[in-house]
Order: sequence, then C-alpha cells, then structure tokens
Amino acid sequence: MSVGTDVIEPRPAVPAVEGGRTRRRWLNWLFVIPAILFQFFWGWYPMVIAIFLSLTNAPIRGAVTFRGIENYVRLASDPLVPMAFRVTLIYGILSIILTFIIPIITAILLMEMPPKTMRVMMILWFLPLSGIASTLFWQYLYNEKFGIFQYIATAVLGLPPQAFLSSERLVLFWLIVPGIIMYGPGLYYIAGLQGIPKSYYEAAEVEGAGFWRKIWTISLPRLRPIISMTLLFSIIGSLQEFTFPDLMTRGGPNGASRTVVMYMFTLLNNGRIGDSTALAVMLFALIMVFVLVFRLVFKSDPDV
Amino acid sequence: MSLFPTVGRKQLGVRISWWLVVAFLAFGVFMHLVPFYIMITTSIKPATEAMAMPPTLWPRQPTFAAWGLVLKLSDIAKSVLSQPLSKYFLNSMIMTFGTMILSIPVTSLAAYAVSKLIKGRAAKNLFIFFIGTLMLPGIVSLIPSFLLTRNFPFPLPVAPNIPGTDVAFPTLRIWNTYWAVIIPAGFSAGNFLLFKGYFDGIPDSIINAARVDGGSEFNIFRRIILPMSIPVYAVVAYFTFGATWDSYLWPLVVIQDSAIAPLTLAIRRISDAFGAAGTTNPLTAVGASAGISELVSQGLSWNGLMVLGLLQAIPTFIFFIIAREYLLKGVKIQGLK
Repeated sequence: MSVGTDVIEPRPAVPAVEGGRTRRRWLNWLFVIPAILFQFFWGWYPMVIAIFLSLTNAPIRGAVTFRGIENYVRLASDPLVPMAFRVTLIYGILSIILTFIIPIITAILLMEMPPKTMRVMMILWFLPLSGIASTLFWQYLYNEKFGIFQYIATAVLGLPPQAFLSSERLVLFWLIVPGIIMYGPGLYYIAGLQGIPKSYYEAAEVEGAGFWRKIWTISLPRLRPIISMTLLFSIIGSLQEFTFPDLMTRGGPNGASRTVVMYMFTLLNNGRIGDSTALAVMLFALIMVFVLVFRLVFKSDPDV
Repeated sequence: MSLFPTVGRKQLGVRISWWLVVAFLAFGVFMHLVPFYIMITTSIKPATEAMAMPPTLWPRQPTFAAWGLVLKLSDIAKSVLSQPLSKYFLNSMIMTFGTMILSIPVTSLAAYAVSKLIKGRAAKNLFIFFIGTLMLPGIVSLIPSFLLTRNFPFPLPVAPNIPGTDVAFPTLRIWNTYWAVIIPAGFSAGNFLLFKGYFDGIPDSIINAARVDGGSEFNIFRRIILPMSIPVYAVVAYFTFGATWDSYLWPLVVIQDSAIAPLTLAIRRISDAFGAAGTTNPLTAVGASAGISELVSQGLSWNGLMVLGLLQAIPTFIFFIIAREYLLKGVKIQGLK
C-alpha cells in the first residue's frame, strides 16, 4: 500500500488497530537495540568476564592459561594490598560520614528561602568547578610552604607548621575536607523536595508540628527514595576513588593515601593484568558486602 | 517556606533562627565562590607573588604573563608537553562531543521505549538490565573493558586462534584512538534513569492522541516528545559534558599517544613536572628538568597551574550557564524503583 492511499482511504477499524499494534510492537525494539548492544558489550560482558580473567595469567604476549586462584594467593602475600584496602575503607567511610549529610540539610534549608533568593543561591551553590581543576586549586591551598591553609594554621591560629598532605597520619582526612562543603548531589534533593505539596506542611502546622518535626515527618520521608539512591552511589563511588587522591598525592606519603584502585592502576602499568583484575574482583566483593548491608537496612520502605 | 510557621513570623525566636539559616546558606555560597576568586586572582599574579607568604588578597601588579606562558608551554618545555595546549583542548572537545552525540540519542530512545512503548514483564526486565550496572561497582570491568578496546570482542590481552589453525581471530581495535573513549560510553545507566524519570511524567494520553492522528512511533517521539523534553536533555547534556570532560582514569588507561590525549592527562603531566621541581619553588627547582627550570625562570609557578585549572573549568562552566534554567525542571528522578 502506497503512502498516498494510506492517508486517503479510511481503513476498517479493527484490523487496522490490530495490524498497527503488531507493527508497532516489533518496531518498538528498534528504540532499545542500540542501547542493549552497548550495555551488553561495555556493561555486563566485561563485568562478568572479570571473574574469569582474574583466574588466568593474562599475559601481555602468548596464550592465556587458567591458573586457578594463583593471582589471589600472590596478592594475599603482598603487604601493599591490605594497606590499600585499609586506606580505601578509611577514605570511604570517613568521606560518607563527613560529606553525605550536609547537602541534604542545605537542600531542605534552601527551600525555605523566597523563590528568587533560592534560585540565585542554588545557582551559586551548584556553580561547577571541574573536578580536575579543583585538584590544582586544593594542591595550591595545601602547599606546605606558601599555601593558604598553612598561613591560617601558623599566622592566624598560631599553630606550628602543619604537614597537611605529607602527613601519613592525617593525609586521608585532609583529602576529604574539600568534599565537606563543596560537592554533593544537592540538585536531586531539591528536585525531590519540590515535589512535596505545600498542603502537607500546612496540615502539619495545624496539627502543631514545629520546624524539626516537619523535617522529620515530611521532608525526610519524602526524600527517602532519593537519599537511599544517592547513599548507595556514594558508598560505591567513594570505595572506588581514584582521581582525587591520584592527582593530589599520587598515593603518598609512603602509600598512606594509595587506594585499591590506585594500586590496581600501578599493577596494570607494570603489566600484571591478571593480578590487577584479581584485585578488582576483591574490591568488588568488599563493595558488594557494603551494598548488601545497605539493602538490608533500607529494605523496609514504607512508601512502597 | 514551609518549615517556619506561617503565623508568628515576627516573634524574636523565629526571626533569629530564620537569619541563622540565611547566614548558613550565605556562608556556603561564599565558600563556593572562594575557589573561583583564588584561581582567577592567582592566575594574574606574577610567579613570585603566587608563592608569597602571607598570600596577597589581590595581585599587586596584575599581569597576564602566566596565561601567555601556559599557552606557549610546549614551545618552551618540549620535554614536559609534546603538543601545544590547544591540541589537548581540542582532543578533549572531540571526545566529549563525540560521547554526547553517541550516548544521548542511544540512551534516551531506550529510556523512552522502556517508559512508554514496551509494557509488562519485558519492560521490567529491560529496566533491570539497563540500570543493574549502576548498583554494582563498575571498577571491576575496568581491565576487561581496556582489553576489549584492544581486541574486541575478546576481553583478553591476545586474541585466541581460530580452532585448528595458527591464525588469530580478527578483532576490532579502538585502543589509543578517540573511539576508545567514545564507544564504551555509548550507553549511560545514570542518564537512562534521568530520562526514564522524566518520560514517566509525560501522560500516556498525549502519545495516544498522537497515535490516533497516525504517524510512526519514531515520528511521535521526534515531533511531540522531544520538544516537551528539552529540560531533561539539557540536564543530561550538562552532566555528560561535565563527566566526559573531566574523565581521567579511563583515558589514562586507553590513551597512550600524547597527540590524542585529553587535557586532563596534559594537566597530570604538567603538575607532575612541577611537583618534581619542588612544588614550584624556584629555589628548590635546581635539580628539575631543563624545561621546567626554564619555565620557572620565565615566571611560571602556581599562577600557571591556576591558568590550567581555569582552562579546564571554563567549558563546564559555560555549559552550566546554558543548562541552569533547566536544572530543576529536568530532574524528575524518584529513586531506583
């Protein structure tokens, strides 16, 4: 049937709808097929294959042979591995404790501002500073000889000169400090808060609810699905940290800020592909423990 | 304005706590502006003033010397940077726009289909297939993905031989090309979630009305859904730009040739070189490479690194300015369910 007749002639109602539906249903898959291919080949496939690869020698040249848990045994005797896991755990847990809550509070308080003030403040608050650019900025601030933090510590607070990023004991803490106020998924919280009808708060006020009670019984429960999502991403993300510590300290001093992913990269650079993959699988297992604990805690969702 | 009581706003206690909230927010805004201020003022300081103790609030003799020196970095210190800085900038642009052009249509069409076209169990399974990787630590696929860029579709260092022969399987190699950054990012699970959240909010009746008028599903998408969805496209474009422009670990793994390296890797090299030179203190830079000592003697220290930081920050900043109107309208995410 040509296009012209298709438009002019009214087709019988029932067969057209039926035919249309089957035609549509088949064509619908054209929308998803490219995404399925990409998600399969660059999403699931490498993820699953990592486990097999970690059980081989994976040499740069020559045939790949199955070696069982040899890579894992070698990693178990490497003292740098537990050290990297320790750094990763401290960094991950500390950064969630110090950086997760403030964006939520900020978003809730931002909603209290008059609409125009809120817009201006929000835009200034979310003004993006490229993550890579910020590493240069923070390195400058942390410089031991002429950084502003050293100036504040010695001239303003009268403390002895601080080591900052060269301190083995405190380097992880100093790496997390920039995240406390600077970055966070605040946009998601504001988007979530905007969806709460005003009448909820008005009704609560009639019932005599105050400031904190409204936050506790309306804002936070309504934000719960978003908070649980961002918390999950924060847990996964902070335990896989690479860029910030790599650019700030290169893992120093003496590996005190070398995360597992940084050590993976070192192994990969040394051509130890199998070991590096095995380390990745170990980190995967560790993170999955956290994810499972998280799911158990967040399982009982009153909204669903 | 819902937490503070609507009645009795004039009471002293309420007013004090109101102003405390304002003060907290203003302090936060101030803290977010400090980095920009320090980076900009430092970039127009002379080299020695950038390392003055105490630091100066405003440059005593503002100069654009550092900007000029950074842009000519590869002429002065070939050992530090083999390509002109503009080349790295261009490489970053190619990778970033390439990723956006590939990933945004692929991801949004899939999200639209899962949200509106495919129903029932198929939609549910597809949804899990698409966002499942978000809930797993992606780092585990770093090395297999790296190997895939070398021998697609074999995630192995060396492609296996065709059984019974000594000839290796033919493989596709995108490693060390722009494609190595662009193709693996062809689908983004996070953006899928944003798109789906937005499309879910569009009433089915609009699509059904369009179906009655005739026209293929794709045309309905293009003529009706797309114009309605500009906010979510703006947000995703901004997020994708920011993420790809700043991508660091992946290019570090798959890009070896400095002629196609993005700006982030150039920044790594430069900050390395300066770090080796005693963190840009001219007095300790004696043992540093010839290129760096030359740069330092010409007046480049932290002022130059701040120029680099600004060059890296400006494009994301421009994208933010363009997308800012849509930020709140485009995000309609409701968690992972």
